[in-house]
Amino acid sequence: MKGLLKYLSPFAPDQSGAASVLYELGGITVICDAGGCTGNICGFDEPRWFVRKSAIFSAGLRDMDAILGRDDRLVEKLKDTAKKVDAEFAAVIGTPVPAVIATDFQALKRMAEKRCGIPVITVECTGTRIYDEGEEETYLELFRKFAEDQKEVNAKTIGVLGATPLDLGSIHADREIHEVLSKQGYENVFCYGMGSGLEAVKNAGTAAKNLVVAPAGLKAAQYLQKRFGTPYEVSYPLLGEEIKEQLHKLAGKKVLVVHQQTAANEIRKEIRRAGEADVTAATWFMLTEEGKEPQDVQLTTEKQFAEYVEQGGFDVIIGDRLLKRALRTYQGEYIAVSHFAVSGELG
Amino acid sequence: MEKEVYYITAAELAERGRDGIPDELQSSKHLIYSSPATLSFNSPGAQGFGVKRAGLAVPGSVELLVAPGCCGRNTTMLSELGGYSERFFYLLMDDTDIVTGRHLNKISKAVKEVVDSLEERPSAVMICITCVDALLGTDMDRVCRKASDYAGVPVLPCYMYALTREGRVPPMTAVRKSVYSLLEKREKKSTTVNLLGEFAPFLDDTELYEILRGLGVKKINEISRCKDFEEYLSMAEANFNLVLNPECRLAAEDIRKRLDIPGIELTRLYQIDKIHRQYELLGGALGVKIDDGKYYEAAMEAVERFSQKYPETVFAIGECLNGGSFELALALLRYGHHVSEIYGTVSSENFIYIKKIAAISPDTRIYTNLSPTMLYYDCGEGKADITIGKDAEYYHPNCVNVPWNQERQPFGYSGLRHLFEELEEAMDKTAEGRTR
Repeated sequence: MKGLLKYLSPFAPDQSGAASVLYELGGITVICDAGGCTGNICGFDEPRWFVRKSAIFSAGLRDMDAILGRDDRLVEKLKDTAKKVDAEFAAVIGTPVPAVIATDFQALKRMAEKRCGIPVITVECTGTRIYDEGEEETYLELFRKFAEDQKEVNAKTIGVLGATPLDLGSIHADREIHEVLSKQGYENVFCYGMGSGLEAVKNAGTAAKNLVVAPAGLKAAQYLQKRFGTPYEVSYPLLGEEIKEQLHKLAGKKVLVVHQQTAANEIRKEIRRAGEADVTAATWFMLTEEGKEPQDVQLTTEKQFAEYVEQGGFDVIIGDRLLKRALRTYQGEYIAVSHFAVSGELG
Repeated sequence: MEKEVYYITAAELAERGRDGIPDELQSSKHLIYSSPATLSFNSPGAQGFGVKRAGLAVPGSVELLVAPGCCGRNTTMLSELGGYSERFFYLLMDDTDIVTGRHLNKISKAVKEVVDSLEERPSAVMICITCVDALLGTDMDRVCRKASDYAGVPVLPCYMYALTREGRVPPMTAVRKSVYSLLEKREKKSTTVNLLGEFAPFLDDTELYEILRGLGVKKINEISRCKDFEEYLSMAEANFNLVLNPECRLAAEDIRKRLDIPGIELTRLYQIDKIHRQYELLGGALGVKIDDGKYYEAAMEAVERFSQKYPETVFAIGECLNGGSFELALALLRYGHHVSEIYGTVSSENFIYIKKIAAISPDTRIYTNLSPTMLYYDCGEGKADITIGKDAEYYHPNCVNVPWNQERQPFGYSGLRHLFEELEEAMDKTAEGRTR
């Protein structure tokens, strides 16, 4: 049955992705919910919450706020908070509640900007979609709103898109990316959403290139290419030596890699570096045409996943530990590579 | 930019009165900050029992969460807890469902598919629904009846309506009613009593067990101690209920109406004279005299031992703990200690304690975990020797902490004694560490 999960738990939703991109940008993030969604975002999907503060708040909606559509109350609360909390901008993120009552986010944005006196962006999440959709929309909103024109391109500056703990499974991934890119001669690394603040977003036009480390960053890269002419490259520079060594031993085998597409592709590339291998990339998340091989699969249901594996005859499956629960009959080798958006476990 | 943390002293708050609670202390008047301290008690992933976990209190039951994926996200963590991984199922809503309510037509089929996939037939299927259905006005009783007829098992609703958290029937009140709703009228046994209110058992040495046995009670039921569904059903044989959590009042009232089992409410307290008075009142209600002398003495001894060893200790008290923050603060003040800070939810019901706290310790600062200004809380500002509550630990990470939020529930003199024993142990350990 479509939508029924008997063995897996739901993956990180779109609002978690949106909040993740905004986490280190120094704004006020308001989750337009009753409290539960914010609890899930901060308590489960945002591993940085326990080591680094960020001004993420719940709108604290109650039934009558939703029934009567009292957006003005939300704006008053935001105005009050903007007086007490140091922030350059505010972002309002949707959840199932505004989705059901059809909140007019454009009107909410205009009203909030007028009343609060700071720039406001809105991200129309619904809670029914997956984290990467929320990330994608947030990157686009940020660059549309804050990226400044007439900037000179600096050959030593690179932007990184798609870097969040949900995709990269580490709260220090920005440091690792910095290290890799510094070795390539880049002096300024704008790792949007991790390690870089709003200034980097404003100066996005100065980047000589953008690196897309997860499909969620692809549309923003295309937007920046169109607006500033910035070229982009899709790759995942975070595979450690230990896992690479393990992957090289899989040459000649039939392998299924289940992860976010960019990471899955990098794993495939690494396996093939050691020799020929029949590798299929599968993902529950965005499957973009860029980097997709004909055999690659979009996963949509538990049943489809289980049947695909059963009929696939794979020697090895690489994926998050939690996904194995859906594979009741699979007898082959399973290599666990965590994906925070699936199990909430860091790598 | 102020960048100041909002607080009010007990004296100022008492003077304002229950009708003058400042907006900063009312969660409906400001955005809500879900700091790690807040999350420990105020989120779907909070420690202890939330609606989803509580819904599985009926032995042998399973749960189907019918909601957008975001509502079930934290359940990944819950599923990892022992015994739960095979009991949670999800029917995820899509964008069309949340607008049209189309998902309601899928529930019966989903319940049947879940039931058929299990090796052992569940005693019941709990359907957990969320804010979406609250807004759609779903008649969940009807949906559950339909699913029950279709799948051939009892199907019950669990309302995880965060939108109604401060309403007349908050989610944790509603779920308590749900989990007892499968009980059906049975012949009464005069020697059977139910303890209602919690989802984990009370500590084994809680004097209430011994006191009840002393009164001739042979069987004391708690839902969390029921080994199987039959034992759960036998709760309907009770002569009376002891209601040990105010969130269980609605369930107790429902049981009274449906099964004709009356209830007596008892409160978890830490002021020893009030515990004694409560037992006097319970004795009065039952027409007996309760001798609580030895329990009183044992608890008092623990209080005095701590107080002599660590006189005038300064406490900071949170709200993620087994007890009421303000009643506990008052108890500690009355035992001769100091309370510098309380992180709590101020309501008109707490004013009885706030007034007394103000009289003894007017400068005690009262904060709310939920205020956006807590983003700027600096633990260097307030003094505390020891913190109680998981949330309080967040604000004073270098301080001695007793979380006091264990699943096994403390109550009465036993609870008071255990608390002071834990406080003493925690302070001893720190003192030992310093001397090494």
